[in-house]
Amino acid sequence: MPSHFGLPFDDEPDQPPAASKAVPAAPTSPSLEARVRDIARRTLGSTPAAPVAPAAPIEPAAPRRQVLSVSELTAAIRDQLEAQFFTVWVEGELSNAKIWNNGHLYFTLKDDRSQLKGVMFRTQLRYLKFKPVDGLRVIARGRVSVYEARGEYQLTCEMLEPKGLGALQLAFEQLKKRLQAEGLFDEARKRPLPALPRKIGIVTSLDGAAIRDMLKVLGRRYHNAHLVIRSTRVQGDGSAAEIAQAIRAIQHVPGVDVLIVGRGGGSVEDLWAFNEEPVARAIAECPVPVISAVGHESDVTIADFVADRRAPTPSAAAEIVVSSRDEFCHRIDRMRDRLDAAMMGRVQALSRRVHVLGGRTALAGFPTRLAMRGRDVTELAHRLDQQFRMRLSGRERTLTLLRRRLDAFDLGRRLDGIRTRLATADGRLRAAVIRRHDRAQAGLRERAGRLTSLSPLAVLGRGYAVAWNADRTHALRHATDVVPGDRIRVTLADGELECDVRGTAPRLTTND
Amino acid sequence: MSDTSIKDFEAALAELDLLVKKLEDGDLSLEQSLALYERGVQLSRFCHTKLEEAERRVEILTERGELKPAPASLVGDDPERR
Repeated sequence: MPSHFGLPFDDEPDQPPAASKAVPAAPTSPSLEARVRDIARRTLGSTPAAPVAPAAPIEPAAPRRQVLSVSELTAAIRDQLEAQFFTVWVEGELSNAKIWNNGHLYFTLKDDRSQLKGVMFRTQLRYLKFKPVDGLRVIARGRVSVYEARGEYQLTCEMLEPKGLGALQLAFEQLKKRLQAEGLFDEARKRPLPALPRKIGIVTSLDGAAIRDMLKVLGRRYHNAHLVIRSTRVQGDGSAAEIAQAIRAIQHVPGVDVLIVGRGGGSVEDLWAFNEEPVARAIAECPVPVISAVGHESDVTIADFVADRRAPTPSAAAEIVVSSRDEFCHRIDRMRDRLDAAMMGRVQALSRRVHVLGGRTALAGFPTRLAMRGRDVTELAHRLDQQFRMRLSGRERTLTLLRRRLDAFDLGRRLDGIRTRLATADGRLRAAVIRRHDRAQAGLRERAGRLTSLSPLAVLGRGYAVAWNADRTHALRHATDVVPGDRIRVTLADGELECDVRGTAPRLTTND
Repeated sequence: MSDTSIKDFEAALAELDLLVKKLEDGDLSLEQSLALYERGVQLSRFCHTKLEEAERRVEILTERGELKPAPASLVGDDPERR
């Protein structure tokens, strides 16, 4: 390639294109310059002549210079920019975003080559749902304004929206992430609902469908519920703060030990208050358990995550309260069945023991011991009679009483809701309990019969008597159990004596 | 409620549970058994009475923190059956 030798070493092949590149730019600068001059002339009137006049003679050939003050130029630029970019949409990535003490948001929008400073004033910022964080791709609407004092221009932003994602959706995700990181959604924070709420607090709008739905359910299935309602706006500007305020107010009403917070269905915007931080915080800080009940089944709000229990709808929230009451009834009844069964078991076991002891003594045939055993038997039988029956409910026989109670526990008679459930689910269980009960009753009757035939009455028939203290709680075993003047009772084979002790003396004969 | 020694439902239920277990497991004397049983009956009766004794009430908590009965327009339209 001989031609190469002809080329000078320092020749830069790039230079000609670079030079030619500069050329097309040239025509624009004079024209802008001209426009600025033109504007300056128009704005400043006759003054431009002043700086030109005295110094001119040195360079007469040069064109007349137009010298502007910094302020003049800046003002001209400002007019130009603000007129031309009165409304612009610009997309970029947020950086250096910070809300200052004055409540305004300052930020820089950037792409891979340029940066643009921006500000969003407090008044607009108020409507921003999501949190403007660095790295977020956004579309901003605003106007370009020039800050003359510093010769800077910036975008005064009126609206900001995240790119790709809806603003609300982003706000939701942001708050959710933040509260989750704080642990507000933790399962360990969820408190159990009270088995039987004394008062049920409800925070919702009195005008909505939600309150009527809840009242309907509670009226039908929880006839004696005590409700305290705090009415609040549930949508619109400032409603989140109102809801939070209502939650704080109602939790202090004495006796309110569960809260339902919610509203009926609506658009995402309608439900928005329940996605705002003040409501989430108020729920998290509430000292009594909170059931969230917002919108329909498919609506999930931040309030739902923070609440101790999420109900898919307001009606469902009421159902939850009702079912905790039903569950409570069932628990009592189950416990009561076990109590009865356990007591019957004890009575049977003890009866059996009495029987065995009595039988053994009868065989042994020692009159005194027999008398002692007889006394034990009598005493036991008597306690069965006196305490088991009298102490429990006066004149009713215990077993009748038990049966009556069982009947009384027929929840169907007391609560419509429970009746259905009992009839189906617990029907068989109940039958079994009654059968068991009947068996136990028969067993006890049989044993009582045997007890009677065994010894105490027989012994009494042979002339023995049992002496009791005045209220028949103890059989007298020692002469020293009483003092003269005491009243005692003496049981004979066919009746009872009421006696006053006139004197006591130690026994002279021995029997062991 | 006549029995002031019973504080609330949960406590009553817990106590009931405890004494049923005692009665089921323990080899108690008749008197002890009876005492437990009696207490158990008392507890369960307390719970049921408590369930039934309340009156249906619907109150509104006002902005000023006062409790007022709810307007009839709100509670009137649901079927009140006693």
